[in-house]
Amino acid sequence: MNVLYNAVVYLVWFFSTFFVVLISLVMVFNRNKLYEKKKPLDSFPLVSVIVPAYNEEHKIAETIASLKDVTYPNIEFIVVNDGSRDGTSAVVTNSIGTDPRFRFIDRKVNKGKAASLNEGISIAKGAYVACMDADSSVEPDIFHKTLPYFDRETIGAVTVSVELKNPKSILHKIIDIEYIIGLSLFLKLFSVYDCIFVTPGPFSVYRKTMLDEIGGFDITNITEDHEIAYRIHKAGYAIVNCFEAKVYTICPETFKGIYVQRRRWYSGAIHTLLQHRDVLFNNKLGVFGYFAPYNYLLVSTGLGLFYASTYLAISRTIENLWYYSYTNFNFFDHLLEFQFDILQYGRIYLIGLCAFLFTLFLMVAGLRLTGKQFASKKVGMLGFPYMFFLYQIFWSGALYAVLRRKHVRWR
Amino acid sequence: MEQRNMVFLLALFITLFLGSTIFLLGDFLNGQREKRIDDLSSEMYANLNEMQTFMLMSEIYGDGMACLAFKSKLQALDKSVWDLGIKIDQYRIASEEFQKDPFYLGQKNAFNEKEVFYLMLLSKIKKHCKYDQAIISFFYRNSEDCKKCDDQSFVLTDLKKDAEKEMSIFSFDADLGLNTIKLLTEYYGIDTYPCIVVNDQKYCGMQDKNFIIEKLCETNHLSFCPEKEENMTIS
Repeated sequence: MNVLYNAVVYLVWFFSTFFVVLISLVMVFNRNKLYEKKKPLDSFPLVSVIVPAYNEEHKIAETIASLKDVTYPNIEFIVVNDGSRDGTSAVVTNSIGTDPRFRFIDRKVNKGKAASLNEGISIAKGAYVACMDADSSVEPDIFHKTLPYFDRETIGAVTVSVELKNPKSILHKIIDIEYIIGLSLFLKLFSVYDCIFVTPGPFSVYRKTMLDEIGGFDITNITEDHEIAYRIHKAGYAIVNCFEAKVYTICPETFKGIYVQRRRWYSGAIHTLLQHRDVLFNNKLGVFGYFAPYNYLLVSTGLGLFYASTYLAISRTIENLWYYSYTNFNFFDHLLEFQFDILQYGRIYLIGLCAFLFTLFLMVAGLRLTGKQFASKKVGMLGFPYMFFLYQIFWSGALYAVLRRKHVRWR
Repeated sequence: MEQRNMVFLLALFITLFLGSTIFLLGDFLNGQREKRIDDLSSEMYANLNEMQTFMLMSEIYGDGMACLAFKSKLQALDKSVWDLGIKIDQYRIASEEFQKDPFYLGQKNAFNEKEVFYLMLLSKIKKHCKYDQAIISFFYRNSEDCKKCDDQSFVLTDLKKDAEKEMSIFSFDADLGLNTIKLLTEYYGIDTYPCIVVNDQKYCGMQDKNFIIEKLCETNHLSFCPEKEENMTIS
């Protein structure tokens, strides 16, 4: 068991270290591109913003308020009520008021997020379509920042940095760091090699002609923002990231809520991969064709390590309980007698230390590049390394759901 | 070469370099561990040699002087034996990742040989100098063949912490096949493991801490032994 376990540790270390080193090199070689100043717009083509909403009576007013503050001069907002059973319809009507830029589709039947987005796209008149979650807020100048990125006909979509709105609980502070690294820093770096794998639901802008060409969102997929990224790449378009534009979103309050959300994300990702398996190792798609298999290699070896570690930890705990049962359970005597001796620790610990230092490096790089203060993020930084354990729990739940063909709903 | 390919190759090179650095650092630590074991072994052997000299002195000059010398040296020797035994186990686990390290096997053999020697010496001194030193001999096999041996080892380690200076514990690995250990197992008639010998009485099978304390206190006056009733007077 120990030999096998050590082998898995070395494998996981190699694959994850290669990934982090690669990311770091991309960061170093392309540091000038991170805050690249695009030529300001000299014309203002019409932009349509679609906001699908389902039971969002408590959050959508803030979303609409942030949209009202958007300074882009040529814009239309389409809010689609996806058969909400709460007071969303009334809140939207009140919030819109008499603003002529808004259109409201108050559908009574729930059809799902992708169907609502497609409905909005079908009536959108803009040359660019922004899709936005009903629980998110944007900066007023977001289109002045994002639209210049459509400087080539092959740019199909522009993503922005996703940040968590007012993280308060410890779990939210950890997820805040995760978003800064995963949905801000990484997306920017992935865009350098054209392998952005998601156009985040909170806010992304698409070229309308491209959306028409690929047929909009897939209504059968529960992670429509991930699935569409595959089809954008397959259609020969690129997805780029506008690092300096930000969308602020929320995440579920409870651990259970977060688990359900992640299970949906990850099981959706597995379904998407199976749906688009022609992408795997597809040279025509460049790095993107290799990105997904590598990502799943990391996930699967990480899961293997997690299961082996859990097994060892549980068996070691049971073993220790047996030991202590013979000595009247004197745990504290042993704790007090602990003596540190660096020579007790072998290469496996060096590997663990190396992985920890890389995690620290990614956090620091993410915070520095997004201009955050370390002091305000210290709780999240302390807790973020534990996120790797949570990932395994979320992935296990997703895998179980896929294997059992359990129906995971969008909500 | 395209910059993208260069970055991939560079990343691979840096990863391999980091891996090699960890490997070499691990090797360096292995070397340090072996050096530490060698140092502890030398210290233990020096202490044993000194005890042997005291033994000869007692035969020439009589027990009085030698017993004083034994007493002063006993604790240091006992500690060096105990520390070495523990370090060999700890460092072996840290060093062996994919295969058994012959260095630790060699050290284990040498350590067990010296332990037998020390046990004989201590038993003789105990008799000569009338020391109230408790002696426990622990016979075990590797944990795959003897699931309870690890448990017994834990109990004895715990016990040793309670009475470090008053007790000497010897652990003998029956799997090493040493002639001296074979002789001891034959002498005590040991055929099941784990097995402990407390002051010459054999108790095979798993024994918990309370049982061993009870047996120790029957023959020794150790600090953790309860006061005996006969010491109490009724007026």
